[in-house]
Amino acid sequence: MKDDTARTDPGTGAGPAVSPAARRERPRPLWPHTVAFPGLAALAVLAAVFLPAPLAVILAFFTGSLCVWSAVDMASRVRASERERSSLDAQLIQSQKLAAIGELSSGIAHEINNPLAVMAQEAEWMTHLMGRPDPTPENLAELRDSLSEIVRQVDRCKTITHNLLNFSRKMEPVPQEERLERIMEDMVLLVEKEAGHKGVTIARDYDTALPPIRTDVPLLRQVILNLLLNAFQAIEGRGAITVSTRKAGEGRVAIVVADTGVGIPPENLPKIFNPFFTTKPPGQGTGLGLSLCHGIVDRLGGAITVESEPGKGSAFTVTLPA
Amino acid sequence: MSIRILIVDDEPDFIETMVKRFTFRKMPVTAATSGIEALTLLETESFDVVIMDVRMPGKDGIETLKEIKKRAPLTEVIMLTGHASVESGMRGMSLGAYDYVLKPVDFEELLDKVRKAYERKQLNEGRHSAD
Repeated sequence: MKDDTARTDPGTGAGPAVSPAARRERPRPLWPHTVAFPGLAALAVLAAVFLPAPLAVILAFFTGSLCVWSAVDMASRVRASERERSSLDAQLIQSQKLAAIGELSSGIAHEINNPLAVMAQEAEWMTHLMGRPDPTPENLAELRDSLSEIVRQVDRCKTITHNLLNFSRKMEPVPQEERLERIMEDMVLLVEKEAGHKGVTIARDYDTALPPIRTDVPLLRQVILNLLLNAFQAIEGRGAITVSTRKAGEGRVAIVVADTGVGIPPENLPKIFNPFFTTKPPGQGTGLGLSLCHGIVDRLGGAITVESEPGKGSAFTVTLPA
Repeated sequence: MSIRILIVDDEPDFIETMVKRFTFRKMPVTAATSGIEALTLLETESFDVVIMDVRMPGKDGIETLKEIKKRAPLTEVIMLTGHASVESGMRGMSLGAYDYVLKPVDFEELLDKVRKAYERKQLNEGRHSAD
């Protein structure tokens, strides 16, 4: 429940997010580094004015080593928190993968269990028939029936595993030549009507001189649709979405989806591509849309970036190899 | 080899026009008027590209798409929709649809999409036989 309340509050998303380590132990105090050591150093400088030279030198070395210790301690803390963050990210990705694997494996188990049950039944029946002393023609016919049923079920299992293999192959991008603005336009048309009802207009700024690009078209469409939906949802009341395509340096092209919506607070900017990060009320967003986009763009050999100003809007830029 | 196309729509008029236009292009098409019928056809025949309406009584386009992708993952599916719903578009695309197109669709454009979808299927199959 606590997590849910944290999620409903878009502005202070950073506040309640306490790292697990911090929950485990109280954080070590910061005041020695910010107050005590600088204070001691200042005192030492003052003391050096009045004290004889040898004493002043010893004092200087003492405060100096304190400062070094302080710096080392701070550096190790920063490093530890960085490590923790990256392991947290990895954990999230891992849990997402595990969920997907769980769903997939229960599906496979279900699909294969049925043929297995049939085969077990048939085998049992065959054992029973063969246990009889004299094989009658009817018995033989039944044996043949059972055997062919088993073969059929084996085929069924084979289809299932084949399909699975195909599925895993499908995860890899299949590059095809297509015009960038055509890939965008279908998705824009899909969003435009709904957007129009809400008072959101969509402006197009396509660079039609761009040559066709080679990319996985359906995957890119998913990214565009996700970005359009995000833009649409960021706008409260009336507003505009601008979609554009352009050249982005040698051998690269870019897609920009910009909106005049609420924008993203700076503290949330680094987190928006994290899986499960959402500012929507629970049940209205999985927090997976942008992380999905990030994952797809990564697989397509591109990059996704965001610029945003709270109250003015956001612009997502996807650069791709041409 | 020609492209094996299956059209699924509950509107007989739409199917009739489509069949006529594809046949005129010397592209034979098979038609089904419901998701169930399409899945039954898929059990005995294989298709390269399925063109399917999203909104159908009984099993709707999204459900049928899910089944098609489960049974024949390499078959490409182009979804047609009369009413633009972003949400169902997102679901369709993430379930592996090749494209999600708003009706009415320009026939030449649809033809081009069918060809592209077929090309994608062949690329996938090429990868399949390569290993």
